[in-house]
This record gives sequence, structure tokens and C-alpha cells, in this order.
Amino acid sequence: MKGATMRARPCATPAVGTQRSPSIRPGAPALRSQRSGATGSHVCRASAAAGEVKWVGNRRKLDLNRNYYPKQEDTDTQKKVWYVIDAEGKTLGRLATLASNYLRGKHLPTFTPSMDTGGYVVVVNADKVAVTGRKENDKMYYYHRVHRPGTMKTETLSELRQRVPERIVERAVKGMLPKGRLGNTLFTHLKVYAGSEHPHEAQTPVDITSLIDRKPKDADLAAVRAAVGLE
Amino acid sequence: MRKEKILRLAKGFRGRAKNCFRIAINRVEKALQYQYRDRKAKKREARKLWIQQINAATRQHGVIYSQFMHTLAKDNIKLDRKTLSDLAINEPHSFKALVDRVKFMRGPNGIE
Repeated sequence: MKGATMRARPCATPAVGTQRSPSIRPGAPALRSQRSGATGSHVCRASAAAGEVKWVGNRRKLDLNRNYYPKQEDTDTQKKVWYVIDAEGKTLGRLATLASNYLRGKHLPTFTPSMDTGGYVVVVNADKVAVTGRKENDKMYYYHRVHRPGTMKTETLSELRQRVPERIVERAVKGMLPKGRLGNTLFTHLKVYAGSEHPHEAQTPVDITSLIDRKPKDADLAAVRAAVGLE
Repeated sequence: MRKEKILRLAKGFRGRAKNCFRIAINRVEKALQYQYRDRKAKKREARKLWIQQINAATRQHGVIYSQFMHTLAKDNIKLDRKTLSDLAINEPHSFKALVDRVKFMRGPNGIE
């Protein structure tokens, strides 16, 4: 771990600008930076989430060793952002990557792998999702009804599309989510629909279809920031 | 005496391992080994997490992590990843200033 030769104290760098910055985490209270010039020491963060101030004797000691860790209320389902992706004509894997990142919360700097800080993702037109090459007829899906030798069933992507089209996208995203209890919970936040209608209008989902397979330099920054909930 | 010490370390263990010394001693030894190993691993895990957080934050502004860090190094900005992720979470406007500096250093033609 690289230690800074000169520890950067955010409050002490005038060039960086005002420290009165609103938090970008949806639902989190606005954070403030305070400067206590009288004692000569700095209390740079007032939020409990940032780090606690330890009293060492008479001196205030800034605990820079505490990193951010989300609180219980940061995983509150009421505060989660909803996203919608239109799958029509989109490549399956690239769509699934985007969905899984937003489900996990990897698009946020407050990403924590052990807690559910992501959002909900709605996928519409899942029956019209596209695959390249010969996968339409060659990609096989295997399953067992009974877990006994000789009872494995196979079907191609085109057959599955006839039978249960939502499962194509669901399978793809599930494979990209972490496996385990948290991954199972994240998977329940994915809502896939075969048609173009979805029953989640009340949650006003943000459209992130344009971010599929977009490099950061090419992505429409306005759309990225809207997806995160910034102005 | 010794048994008391071991059983105290076995609090929260599963089943008989928390109450019976002969089972607890095995689990406690393992636990201490894991603690030794993971004190070193914690530093690696923390850095990994900071990098992921910085990456997410810079991508919100159209820059990717590798270019961001490279340009910071070239510009002789010696902020470490811990501080950068902390800024990205708690002082987003300061972090944006850093990203703007990176964009400026990489040239007005845009991000490569």
C-alpha cells in the first residue's frame, strides 16, 4: 500500500475548492466539512460514516484509518434506484454485464461487496435479445428435473426462446452475479419481461440502455450521471 | 487457567467447539492461524476495494481508473488509493476537481 509522503488533508488544500459538497449517495444526509482553526487541528468530516474523532488526551486525533462502510439504511429497498434496459436487438452478454453491475452497485464509489447497495434492474423485450454468431441454434441450455444420471435435458437458445424467453436473460445475469446468499438476493432485484410493458412505472426507472457496451469516454456523461442520481 | 483462556477465545463458535475444551482447542488454533493470515490479507483486500471504488467514481466522469492513476502519477500527485476513495465517497466535488485535472493533463482533445 502506497503511503503518501505528504498526507493530503482535504480541508487544507485551497486549490481543490469548497468542501461543502453534497453527498452523492442517494438518501444519505448532506456531509459537511468543518475547520477548527483555533486548536490548529482539523475535523474534516462531520459524518459518522466517514470516521470518528478520537480524543487522545487533550488533543483531537483525526482517525484517517477508518474507511467508508455503509450503514443498514444504505441498503434500504425504499431508497434503491430503479433502472430499465430495453433488450431489443442488444447483445445478450453485454446487456447482462451492465445489468449485473448496476444490481451489485459497482457503478457507485460507495460499492461494498458484502452489502447490497445496488439498485433494481428491469429488462423489457427480453424475448428479442440478440446473440452473435451461431449461438441462436448452437447455444445449449442444460437442466435436470431429477438430479439422476441420464435425466439431463438439453435445449438450444432458440427453443428456450419459444418456451420461456425471460430465462435467457435471467440465466446470463445470474451467472455474472456473485454466488451465495447475497448473490441470490441481488438476483431477486432483477425483473425480466418478455414484452415491452413492465409493471414498475411507479418506480420511475432510469433508462440505461444507452450505456450497454459504452466505453466511459464515449458514454453520454449526462446519462451516466442521471443513472447514478446526480444532477 | 489455560483452558479458561482458550475457551474465552472460542466465544461464538459453533456447537461443542465453544464449550468443550478438547474440541475448542482445535478450532481456536485454526482461528488464530486464520487471524495471522488475514491480518496480511486485510491490507490487500482493502486496496482492492479502494481501486474498485475509485474506478466507479472516475467512470462517472468519463475517465477510467488506469488512465486516472497514470496521469496522477505523471503529474506528481501522490495521493494514495485510500485517500482517493475517501475523497470519491465523502468529498465528491474535490474528487471531480482531480478528475478535471486529469482530463486537462491528458489534453483538450479528450480522454484517450
